[in-house]
Amino acid sequence: MTDMADLSGAADAARASAAAARDDELVRGWRLSWLRMRAIGTRHAYVLLRSPHRLFDVILWPVVDVLLFGSLATFVASGHTSGSARAAAYLIAGIVLWHVVYQSQIAVSTGVLEESWSRNMLNLMVSPITAFEYVAGVALFGLLKMAGALGLVTVGAAIFFSFDVPALGWGLLPIFAILLFVGWAIALFVVGVVFRYGAGAEALAWGVLFVVMPLSGIFYPVSALPAFLQPVALSLPTTHAFIALRALVDGKGIEWNQLALAAVLTVVLLALSLWYVTKMIEIFRKRGYITRYS
Amino acid sequence: MTSSTVVLEARGLVKDYRRSRAVDGVDIVVHAGERVGLLGPNGAGKTTTLLMVLGVVSPDAGSVVIDGVHVDRDHSKAAASIGFAAGYLPLTDRMRVREYLTMYGQIYGLRDPKPQIAAGLERFRIPDLAEAMGTELSSGQRTLVGIVRATLHRPRLLVLDEPTASLDPDVARRVREGLGEICAEDGTAILVTSHDMSEVERLCERVIFLSKGRIVADGPPNEVAAAYGHGALEDVFLQLADQRDAGRRLEVEQTDRPA
Repeated sequence: MTDMADLSGAADAARASAAAARDDELVRGWRLSWLRMRAIGTRHAYVLLRSPHRLFDVILWPVVDVLLFGSLATFVASGHTSGSARAAAYLIAGIVLWHVVYQSQIAVSTGVLEESWSRNMLNLMVSPITAFEYVAGVALFGLLKMAGALGLVTVGAAIFFSFDVPALGWGLLPIFAILLFVGWAIALFVVGVVFRYGAGAEALAWGVLFVVMPLSGIFYPVSALPAFLQPVALSLPTTHAFIALRALVDGKGIEWNQLALAAVLTVVLLALSLWYVTKMIEIFRKRGYITRYS
Repeated sequence: MTSSTVVLEARGLVKDYRRSRAVDGVDIVVHAGERVGLLGPNGAGKTTTLLMVLGVVSPDAGSVVIDGVHVDRDHSKAAASIGFAAGYLPLTDRMRVREYLTMYGQIYGLRDPKPQIAAGLERFRIPDLAEAMGTELSSGQRTLVGIVRATLHRPRLLVLDEPTASLDPDVARRVREGLGEICAEDGTAILVTSHDMSEVERLCERVIFLSKGRIVADGPPNEVAAAYGHGALEDVFLQLADQRDAGRRLEVEQTDRPA
């Protein structure tokens, strides 16, 4: 009996020592969150660099866009009608800034879809990474991708069409920030739909932007839209951000009223998206949808 | 040899899906260093129970506490004490084994995952796979890498779903031996599901049989088999599967009977 007690005590002591070693090996607090975000970012960097077709979104698509809309702008400008040069500038500035929404949205939503495609969802969901840490990791990596894509469209606009985007000035920064957060908000909505309806809803990741794009009047004033769509357009933060962008193109300076309205609408959109994705994850756990991935 | 520290305490777990009750009042308590098999025929509620323990399916009733932390209140903290591996899960695409393990080591908060990765690969005798791409591995190799991933952070509780499915006897032995070492050295408790009863008899010192979402037996493998009048767990399993099928036939007959 005494021997057994000794053995049990020795085993417990060994485990206590293992637990102490375990604690020493671990990072805590904000450093832990940062480590997890970095891990997710690195994972997506491997996926991007080892899948040449995924570079389409970052390299080919921005170049195609700037060529398409830049050429259209050149054609419009050659009309010599009043305002045609201005419309051409709207086209190029619009497509460059639209890539902020596109790249930030696509990075987060396809990041989550990637876990579904590679059946990594269950492993991640049983791990201690939080939803915030995961999304932040994907979003931060998305920022790097976006920097590359924006660089391409900016340089493309300058080389092919002599349009100097940075010359629009510091007023671009708040517009950029608003469009970035709108992209993330739309991505959270898409992620919520994927949690609720499965990877079959992946078409939304790309498709939803084709709805937002024309409604946001990225190339034209809201008055150019059919009357019944104009109230919808005015409820979108992107619409006001692009109104502010056109003011910059016209040399009118920063339209703070439009930017403030865009910022408020962005906060509302982000809050709605966060609420939606949280609700969908709750339903995901409640209904056991994880079995789709096991 | 187990100590009295409770690692997993699941009480009154209930889960209903649309058509049926998958889990019906399950209580499971697992102590540090204990190796427990969760068994039962298909549809018995094993996977749903495991998923509730892991916190990816919310119970309709009941609670799960891992190492003193309520899973539904602080999933991240509770999950930090758990490791999970399943024989059916592939490795993440487009990553080498070392990169994949580093990613999970960081997610679990390891300051420097390299020593743990090297030790884990060595323990399961696969150090040569470190630079292989995940897609190049056989199913047995994937399982071993999955277990290395699940044990990098020295979890308090290791949950394994069908870890030895489709493994040859040599790899299955490596898994058993490696898991035995982890339990002895770190005091890790193991909760494992498997349809391979002989494997369970070798690995586990205690088995819990589920049938129709309820626990119908809980104890050492030989005692559970004896309680059912059998010499081996496989016969207990077959008896429960027959009872399940008989129950289904009865339900169909009662449904088809004219009012």
